[in-house]
Amino acid sequence: MLDIKNIYKNFGDLKVLKGVSTHVEKGEVISLIGVSGSGKSTLLRCMNLLETPTFGEVWMEGKLLTPVDPYLHAEVIQASNTYKKLREEGLSDEEAVRKIKDEDLLHEKHGREGKEYTALIKKIYQENHLDANLARQKMGMVFQQFNLFNNLTVLGNITLAPVKIGMDRIRKAKRAGRPVTETKESVRAAAEKKAMDLLKRIGLEDKADSYPSSLSGGQKQRIAIIRALAMDPDVMLFDEPTSALDPEMVGEVLDLIKELVKSGMTMVVVTHEMGFAREVSDRVLFVDEGYIKEEGTPEEIFRHPKDAHLKDFLAKVL
Amino acid sequence: MSFSTFFSNIGMLLSRYWHVFVLEGVKYTLLLAAIAVVGGTILGALFALGKRGKIRPLKWLIGAVVEVVRGTPMLLQLYAGVFMLPRIFPILNEVDDIVSVTVVLVINSAAYTSEIIRSGIQAVDIGQTEAARSLGLSERTTMLHVVLPQAVKNILPALGNEFITVVKETSLASTFFVGEIMTSYLKVKGNTYLTLECLTIVGAIYFILTFTLSKLLQRAERRMKHA
Repeated sequence: MLDIKNIYKNFGDLKVLKGVSTHVEKGEVISLIGVSGSGKSTLLRCMNLLETPTFGEVWMEGKLLTPVDPYLHAEVIQASNTYKKLREEGLSDEEAVRKIKDEDLLHEKHGREGKEYTALIKKIYQENHLDANLARQKMGMVFQQFNLFNNLTVLGNITLAPVKIGMDRIRKAKRAGRPVTETKESVRAAAEKKAMDLLKRIGLEDKADSYPSSLSGGQKQRIAIIRALAMDPDVMLFDEPTSALDPEMVGEVLDLIKELVKSGMTMVVVTHEMGFAREVSDRVLFVDEGYIKEEGTPEEIFRHPKDAHLKDFLAKVL
Repeated sequence: MSFSTFFSNIGMLLSRYWHVFVLEGVKYTLLLAAIAVVGGTILGALFALGKRGKIRPLKWLIGAVVEVVRGTPMLLQLYAGVFMLPRIFPILNEVDDIVSVTVVLVINSAAYTSEIIRSGIQAVDIGQTEAARSLGLSERTTMLHVVLPQAVKNILPALGNEFITVVKETSLASTFFVGEIMTSYLKVKGNTYLTLECLTIVGAIYFILTFTLSKLLQRAERRMKHA
């Protein structure tokens, strides 16, 4: 479902991720653990491109989300004039490609590389690329600080994205001359019905018209979760969903997440709740110093840790 | 001069020249102020968005306009609009003074408003934007439905302050005799030589206008209180 290939992320001089690759299968629950500042949140945020990786690729169901990097596609290099010139000078294919990559020759002459080159980049883009906004519609995200929209009611929070995206769909269909089966009203009615169903599921239907400022942390976070669910995501990303909660509210949020696990939702969870990670995860990744230092089943990670830092970390948190 | 003559003079002025003060003066002041406030807010919002955008020359241009407007006196800007620019661009000689004055007022107000709006947008927690984008909403929708409504709520007091300033700054337009309240004052004073009385009337009119505006803004603030 999600493929992370060799991701690097720098913030200025600070290197947060230094080459991370992993994949998320359908129905899988993955926990990211590690000390603060290890890069686990950044890795999660790179998955839905809230952070654009400095280098590397994010693929979702065979479509590339990150910008097309010509250096990663041998055929782009081969279409370039620099490559042709190097071949004429007698270099082998492999040598020419390596020389271009190592010496950054493609970038230098970016504008003057000729039509084939531009056309090929465009083609690769069209064939492989998926717009980040479209991808995000299928990736729900839950934040540590809830981030409910303060200017909207609970119902408005949940229905904003489904309604706006439904309107876009209608507009696009009209422009393309396709038959339009939905109306503005039907989109809104459907979104509201779904929102109320979801609110009933978490027992907060009486809060539909309240504003976020009047809710408790646990209520806010549960609403943030169903706001993401209202988009019918294929995968849910959780960024320390219980870290900002008062202790007595952690349970209600974890229960809701566990319920999602049972329903077979694909999930990536950054968490400090080791008990929770152990209970629900199919796979646990230990992120440390910008790398995935160790990865395995909860059993392997928590019972038989191999990495020295992981042992240290577990000794502190367990 | 006794109080009784002072008040009877005011009464006389109001009865004899009310059409100069109210029909002409208030009408033009309100017109100028309304155009400056509405135009300034819209242009200011565009300035603020442009400055946050990605087009470098545009950012630079907006920055320059804002700095020049903030760094020079309003009166000088009016002179520039009415006298200097028509010298450089003769085609502007065709333009009526009141139009030039209005344009200068709009740009002036836009420069200040854009800084207010920019600070308002910056004050909205980045998490709000991230949450909206994570749901797949576009940058535009996020700005229009999540960030701007919260920004406007935050900046309403500062914006109200700016509106009131604009109403009062229209008085500088009297330099060019365009017919707003201060122009009425000049006219009536010239006819009657009752300076103090005229100033009192004009002051009262300005106060009534700004006080009404500030009450309206307070009501708007109350209505947006919930969040």
